[in-house]
Amino acid sequence: MLANRKTPIVALKTRPSFGFLICLPLLLSLMTPMVASTIAQDEPAGLAPEDIWSDDYINDIFPWAPASDDILQFKQYHTYETMKTRMMRLAEENPDIFEYHEGMNGGTNARGEEVTADAYEGWYYGHLSPWMKITADVQGGDYNEFVGDNGNYPDRHDVMIVGNHHAREWMSYEVPMLQLEVIAFSYNNIGYDNDGDGLIDEDGWGDSNGDGILDDDGDCLAMASEHQDSNGDGVNCGPGDHGVDEDYSEQFITDLVNLREIYLIPMLNVDGNIYDREVFCPAPAWETCPSGGWRKNLRDNTYTGVTPLPDLNEEVDEDCDGVDLNRNYQFEWGAPLGATGPLIPGTCSPSEGELDGSNNDVYNGPVDDRDNDGDGQVNEDHVDGKDDDADGVTDEDWWGGNSEPETKFIQDMTEMNDDDGDGASEFKSTLTHHSYSELILWPWGHCTDCESPDHAQLEYHGQQMADMTLYANLQSSSLYPTSGDFCDWHYGVHGSYCYTSEIGTAFHQRPEDIDHIAVRNLGIGFYIAEIADNPRERADNGIANISKNQNLQLPGLVDIPPKGDIPIDMCISNDFAYSLDIDVSHIMYRTVKPNRAQSDFGPKEWSTTAWSMSPLRETSSTCNLLNGENGTVLRSNLPVPDTVSGQVHYKAMLGTLSGGDLYLYPPNGGYYVLEIDYRADYGGLFGALFMFLVVAGFVWGGLAICLRMMLVDENEKEFADAIAEGGG
Amino acid sequence: MAQSDQFNGRLGLIFASIGAAIGTGNIWRFPRMVGANGGGTFLIPWLIFLFAWSIPLVIAEFAMGKRSRTGTIGTFRIFAGKKFAWMGLWTAWISTAIGFYYAIVAGWTIKYFQLGITGGLTGEGVDTTEVWNSFLQSPGQVIFFQFLVIVLTLAAIWKGAKAIEKVNVVLMISLFVLLFMSLFLSLWMDFEDGSLDGATFMFSVDFDLLFEPEIWINALSQSAWSCSAGMGMAITYAVYMRKDEDTVLNAFTMGLANNSISIIAGLAVLSSIFAVSSDPLATVTGGSSAITFLALPEVFAQAPGGAIGPFIMMSGFFLALSFAALTSMISTVELCVRNFVDHGYNRERSVAITGLALFIFGLPSAVIWIKLDSSGVAFPEFLEVQDHIWGYGLMFSGLFIAFSIWKYGFLRWKAQVAAGEAPPGLKGYLGVGVSAFRDDFINTGDNDIEVGRWWDILLYIAFPILFTVLMVSYFSDMIANTEDVWNPANPKGLGIILSFWGVIAVAFIFLNKYLIQRPIFRNIPEGADVDISTLPGGQDDKVHQLGDFVPGFEHLASEDAVFEAEAV
Repeated sequence: MLANRKTPIVALKTRPSFGFLICLPLLLSLMTPMVASTIAQDEPAGLAPEDIWSDDYINDIFPWAPASDDILQFKQYHTYETMKTRMMRLAEENPDIFEYHEGMNGGTNARGEEVTADAYEGWYYGHLSPWMKITADVQGGDYNEFVGDNGNYPDRHDVMIVGNHHAREWMSYEVPMLQLEVIAFSYNNIGYDNDGDGLIDEDGWGDSNGDGILDDDGDCLAMASEHQDSNGDGVNCGPGDHGVDEDYSEQFITDLVNLREIYLIPMLNVDGNIYDREVFCPAPAWETCPSGGWRKNLRDNTYTGVTPLPDLNEEVDEDCDGVDLNRNYQFEWGAPLGATGPLIPGTCSPSEGELDGSNNDVYNGPVDDRDNDGDGQVNEDHVDGKDDDADGVTDEDWWGGNSEPETKFIQDMTEMNDDDGDGASEFKSTLTHHSYSELILWPWGHCTDCESPDHAQLEYHGQQMADMTLYANLQSSSLYPTSGDFCDWHYGVHGSYCYTSEIGTAFHQRPEDIDHIAVRNLGIGFYIAEIADNPRERADNGIANISKNQNLQLPGLVDIPPKGDIPIDMCISNDFAYSLDIDVSHIMYRTVKPNRAQSDFGPKEWSTTAWSMSPLRETSSTCNLLNGENGTVLRSNLPVPDTVSGQVHYKAMLGTLSGGDLYLYPPNGGYYVLEIDYRADYGGLFGALFMFLVVAGFVWGGLAICLRMMLVDENEKEFADAIAEGGG
Repeated sequence: MAQSDQFNGRLGLIFASIGAAIGTGNIWRFPRMVGANGGGTFLIPWLIFLFAWSIPLVIAEFAMGKRSRTGTIGTFRIFAGKKFAWMGLWTAWISTAIGFYYAIVAGWTIKYFQLGITGGLTGEGVDTTEVWNSFLQSPGQVIFFQFLVIVLTLAAIWKGAKAIEKVNVVLMISLFVLLFMSLFLSLWMDFEDGSLDGATFMFSVDFDLLFEPEIWINALSQSAWSCSAGMGMAITYAVYMRKDEDTVLNAFTMGLANNSISIIAGLAVLSSIFAVSSDPLATVTGGSSAITFLALPEVFAQAPGGAIGPFIMMSGFFLALSFAALTSMISTVELCVRNFVDHGYNRERSVAITGLALFIFGLPSAVIWIKLDSSGVAFPEFLEVQDHIWGYGLMFSGLFIAFSIWKYGFLRWKAQVAAGEAPPGLKGYLGVGVSAFRDDFINTGDNDIEVGRWWDILLYIAFPILFTVLMVSYFSDMIANTEDVWNPANPKGLGIILSFWGVIAVAFIFLNKYLIQRPIFRNIPEGADVDISTLPGGQDDKVHQLGDFVPGFEHLASEDAVFEAEAV
């Protein structure tokens, strides 16, 4: 046999390699300290960002684009073109939630006027405002012929977010663009770890745990002080700093997209923005226009007067042309508060030092001297929410305003987006981004020393958003009075809770500040969407601390029965007008079990089921609200199988009888984790015995038969061999 | 003429095959699968797949190896044809690549045996997680035990079949004894509260669960991996079969013995865990290494009988586990070595080279990417990735075996039609072609059990369906649940698996033409019926018999020849 013929030559040749083999482990064991030191060591205090966060997070690299893409990383401004391209791309990549539009189809508007699509084109460059319709299954739902969008659902609340009324306020379209990116990235991407610290959704916008500290998870506060003010605004661990509100809940964003229709118009004033960027403030704008820029649209005031015709051959007259879009809305239009009308209708005669660009910057547009309602009288019922001429119709013959393609676009969208056909605007809450001053403003703007009927409620929501951004919360006119602005019109005419955010500290922020300022302002766009169900009720509940005091049973207090459904209680305030409709009020739950097919050598793997809904029902038991008062128990029995061993995740969503539908417990898209043991029987003795006999019979019995056959065979062979040998 | 290398007795072959089949999969994977997949419910599909997947494949392997009398490369060269010798290379590579990290895993078991002996796992304040983490995170230790395993394995196979036989007989018998001892103690532990919860659970059927496809898929994967079916191991050991060996009975014995041991191990592990743990099902559903090295030491420490019980339990169980691992390691190395020897390389040299390769290519799995999971338990991610890649690559080896059988059936039918012996058309194919392999190579007259039509049905219909189900479920699961699944840099993704497979397959297909230029030598016992004229390899003039005079390889024809292997 070959294997037995070991020759000296071969032996000599193999021996050294074996010696080498024996030495190798010793050599390699010298490496031990190097490899073992890979275990991270925790420093006791004053951490550096690298200790907790991912490199991408520390370097402000967003996950949706390569680090080198300055525009998508918010290190460079979008232009109109790149913004539009990006919006189209996002819509293409997320066709389930985004539908891209420019302008609207037009048709007969709410005032009976025939409007064509070109009515919304900018005077000068002729572009339409690009916008995104955002909702789940956006291709489903109803089609709105006038607006041209799909995805209109009567039971989803609508919210409008508008950026860039004023051309030079560049952050005001970057913030909605960031919101768009975040929605695209976060939708159904539940549990993404934004900051790479291994924790999930641990720090949402604002002070979600109510301890007065914005940095809910305390990671910014755990940094050494030199790392606590990453945006350099002088506030340690303020909004926009690393580690503050950095890991919001993708579930919350997903819920919002599922339950809201968001109309996001990042750049309303395309004409003005292009002019500001390309002509008025040559790049870099933050140096050529440190404190100014082009503000208005590009209406040609000099040439055409009251009913202008576009005149593309004429250069823009910077001293005279343009209308301040945020003075052109119709509510109390024309009041000389923070706005100017034409001195002589139909003319524009700026003179040195008097009507120069700065004064003309707040020109509110031409007077409308048509007989809007065709009753023979002109301008007899101005838009102010009152029936000035006591004819039973309100605001039907107006002075002016709504004269610009951009404002017409907003007005018609607001009035024509009527999902439920009740004739009223669907936008119960609205937000317009401006810059700058670090403020949150709300109606009224047209009067001083006046309060709106919803003053307290408007102030309440304003404060929530001011808390997220660390901005000042003010009634608009407390800053300076304005007439004809977006929010006065939305609130005054349509009752929408409308907010103006004044972002940042400059019209043209330096590019290195875009990302952190946008991040700082990201939360308010989601807040405004959240409250779009019934902002007044939400404010009332918030002011009375009703929603905060209600609570979902904590895992430690859940009584897991030895068999059957697991009851979960929700403690409800007696002042909370809850609905028991399962669509708006329910417990969501899912189970997390160890994976059935674990990897042999890897970590323990878990499989998570999809969220299921379980209805809430009333009980007569009472419970303690967080403030100690008595509440009522709503109970849900979660049908978790007895065989589940692992975790049950649960959370509650409550709706109200008056349309509120997104009261989340725990807040901000979180959930509670209940550890659960296997509760089913291990089986019956007799069944097991029977099965044992079957299996053992098959396997052991089969083996015995095989071995027996083999041995018999073997004996026969030996016998045969013996005979053969004997015979031979 | 050079002598052929053979096992002494039939039981030797059986013990060697059982040793190869029984590995850690039976002892640590099976109890976990039973626990996680509904106890007795799992046993039903598991038994079905033993007969539907494992045994038919092993029968095929034994039949092929017994006829080709070469390792995997030669077998595919003869059975599938010259162009497909790379399939044998793939099969050999998969087995060897599994060996790279399996040596490390076997090392763990020896380490734990040592800990059991020295009492490192019992006593006050022993945190099994800490013990495990500190062991896994000290590369010196892990490498030392890996090295030990390789040395032991090489020592066992150095001398060829008869040595392998002896070692396997001793180790397997000890394994039975040790496992029975553990079983006895666990049942005792579990019965202390008056009921046998573990055994009850293990044999209780929940009929609703039978409708969950996951249970079936897991049972299939357990059958496919635990029995080594399709790995080429049976082909290799069949080379050493005596001329009139009964392949079918051997396959049944091996499969049933494999499952018998699984049941004993399952009962032992589940009983002890159910005796001690407050939520036993949560305990058994961790990863295999977690349950073995974290949960079981804790459980065993509570065995009855003062210090003696835990000692016997701990050392006995881990010794049994190391024996199981070692015997599997032996078959892995032999599979590789056999292929070298077939191509005219010197045995000792091949063994040494294989051992060295196992050691060096195993090192990355021993030292790199040792990570902590969310509960702070260390795990070797590189090793895990290797396991994913080659574990599923193993399935293709099974497919290649089926391919050879399908091809043979088709060719035989064509040949017989040409010769006017068989009718053309589907009817002729079903009548002659489908059964050709079985008629020619399985039912050779040596076997006591005649294999019927059922085997054809399983190989032609059940196998492709089951193979597809396994692959599709695995891949779709992965695609659905993995982030960034196509990125080859993601260790958990599909990209890395496909790129490894792709590179290896392309390289092997490319190497094929060089491979078939080398002569190959069959290890034929005197008087054996090894006619391969009807096979594709029958026309291959480079397929020789050990002892044939081959130009350039004359030394092999001489008993005293000194053969210097070319450098590999």
